[in-house]
Amino acid sequence: MFMRILGKSIARRKQRVAIAIVAVVMGAAIASALMTTSMAMKDKVGQQFRNFGANIVVIPKSDTIEVGLPGITFGSVTEQRYINESDLWKIKEIANWSANVLGYAPFLYQVVGVNGSDGRSLNIVLAGTYFNRSVENVTKDANGNLWATGIRRIAPYWDITGKWVKDGNDRRESIVGTIAAKAMGLSIGSVYSVNYVNPDTQNVTTRDLEVTGIVNSGGAEDSQIFVDMEVAQEISNRPGKVHSVQVSALCTNCPAELIGQEIEKSLPTVQAKSVKQLVLAENQIMMQLEQTMTLVTVVALGASALGVMTTMTTNVIERRKEIGLLKSIGADNRRIAALFLTEAAIIGLAGGAIGYGIGLGLAQFIGQSVFQSSVEIVPIAIPITMAISVGIALLASALPVRRATQVEPAAVLRGE
Amino acid sequence: MTQIVELEGVTKDYGNSTRALSDVRLSLRKGNWTTVMGPSGSGKTTMLNIIGCLDSPTGGKVNIAGVDIAGLDQRGLTKFRRENIGWIFQQYHLVPYLTALENVMLSQFYSGIVDEPLAVEMLTKVGIGHRLQHYPAQLSGGEQQRVCIARALVNEPSLILADEPTGNLDQNNGKIVLDLLERLREEGHTIIIVTHNTEIAGLGDRTIELVDGKISLDRINERKHGEVI
Repeated sequence: MFMRILGKSIARRKQRVAIAIVAVVMGAAIASALMTTSMAMKDKVGQQFRNFGANIVVIPKSDTIEVGLPGITFGSVTEQRYINESDLWKIKEIANWSANVLGYAPFLYQVVGVNGSDGRSLNIVLAGTYFNRSVENVTKDANGNLWATGIRRIAPYWDITGKWVKDGNDRRESIVGTIAAKAMGLSIGSVYSVNYVNPDTQNVTTRDLEVTGIVNSGGAEDSQIFVDMEVAQEISNRPGKVHSVQVSALCTNCPAELIGQEIEKSLPTVQAKSVKQLVLAENQIMMQLEQTMTLVTVVALGASALGVMTTMTTNVIERRKEIGLLKSIGADNRRIAALFLTEAAIIGLAGGAIGYGIGLGLAQFIGQSVFQSSVEIVPIAIPITMAISVGIALLASALPVRRATQVEPAAVLRGE
Repeated sequence: MTQIVELEGVTKDYGNSTRALSDVRLSLRKGNWTTVMGPSGSGKTTMLNIIGCLDSPTGGKVNIAGVDIAGLDQRGLTKFRRENIGWIFQQYHLVPYLTALENVMLSQFYSGIVDEPLAVEMLTKVGIGHRLQHYPAQLSGGEQQRVCIARALVNEPSLILADEPTGNLDQNNGKIVLDLLERLREEGHTIIIVTHNTEIAGLGDRTIELVDGKISLDRINERKHGEVI
């Protein structure tokens, strides 16, 4: 009987109920769209951040030795240490956060002499690195492919003219920074010599290199030369050694510090430091994004609540006589409240369901226009949207329902 | 127990200035038809509302069917009303989006037991068994009032209270409704009718007249069957 009363009462006021549902739909659609976008896009936003480069730097642990006379310290010297290249795969295989390690690139730096465009000799930094190298010891992907890493993975922001160096393919290939290329008068295809003087033996190693690409990164890279890791190790006779490793880690909630700790556990001779500015910027932007989304959602839900409250108040005013009658024939306040709250819950459910659907479409639109990718359905967003919609509808009905329970049957039945 | 309504020194004030009932003392017997008369504003409806537990007195004692209703809270009054009072209104007050049958079942629903055959029986008893699925807007005034009477009767209340039951009806429909009430009285129902109509007063067992919130006349009538309006 209750459902019959409810059904007929709703059917009789279709338009008003529809207005209330539309009010809920608006709030639910925005809540669902922003929630879905926020949940599904967290990873994507993180990946976008990764375009700005590595956020963890791994360097060897160094021992600092104090020098001086007894009681007088002159200063300290730091012993030059390296990271073993053969251990690098462990960075990808760390416990807990392995999936978050998107890539790494090791670097071995040395200062080499080159001829400038004006004929004078110049000193320039030559770095050996990985460009896009498959790593043997890392777990293969589902298709059995080796995991590959290098500069191309961790620094998508590098603007390359020409071609990338192919790892291990040709020992002459090099990428030259745009400033260095200009100073040396090089262009793509140019062949040039680099001279490395061993600081210990004073032996000079000369190597001919060819420019395959010119990099414009806007950073220090523009003044450097990049070659395959083995080439750099051969020039300075440091086989299997690297100075540092830049790691790009996907930090949705930015556990860069935790990832760093895991790397230190796997490679006890290194220290892994997060690039704090980048991590902080990521955190801050993610937080601001979430705050904006929450604010928009709250405003939208507030507007929905107002819409539902107006409709429910009109509903109660229009049905005062009916409420008085129901009370006169024995309906207590609990039953009167149940009638209106159930109607509100139905409005909330209907509005929530429609709103979720529209929100999903809206999320796809946001995904395509902002992130140029589709947004996956986040199942948890369905019950959350429904719960929010029903909650808003019930909350907005609280005052009107209170008004309904305060109807004096004697007064309304005699026409007051 | 033969007394079903006992009012002792009942007063009802609206605000500080308006006294609707003043020291009303009244005792009504079970199974009687009592007609309450009086000019507008004399306190008739207020007294009926207090007896029907829709309103509370400002002072005095009200005992209905052996229960001191002054001791009941709002919830208790609602429960008491549900179990003991059947209301017949001048304006019928039917729920417009429910059929005649559903309007009667509504009263059953709030009493806790929905018995459709009984609701059909009640509507048949009041002569509109053929209009069960009609909505109030599809019924004449007399038919709506009969649905209202069926709704009042369906829970077998101790008291039937009627506020101007024929006030909105033409002579023919008014006679049908009064005949129905007469039949109910014969079946042993206790009926209290508030009316302006002096001819209805003659049909009851007792006539009470209120003036300015006080009982000015209390008369036992001779039974006059068949002298309706």
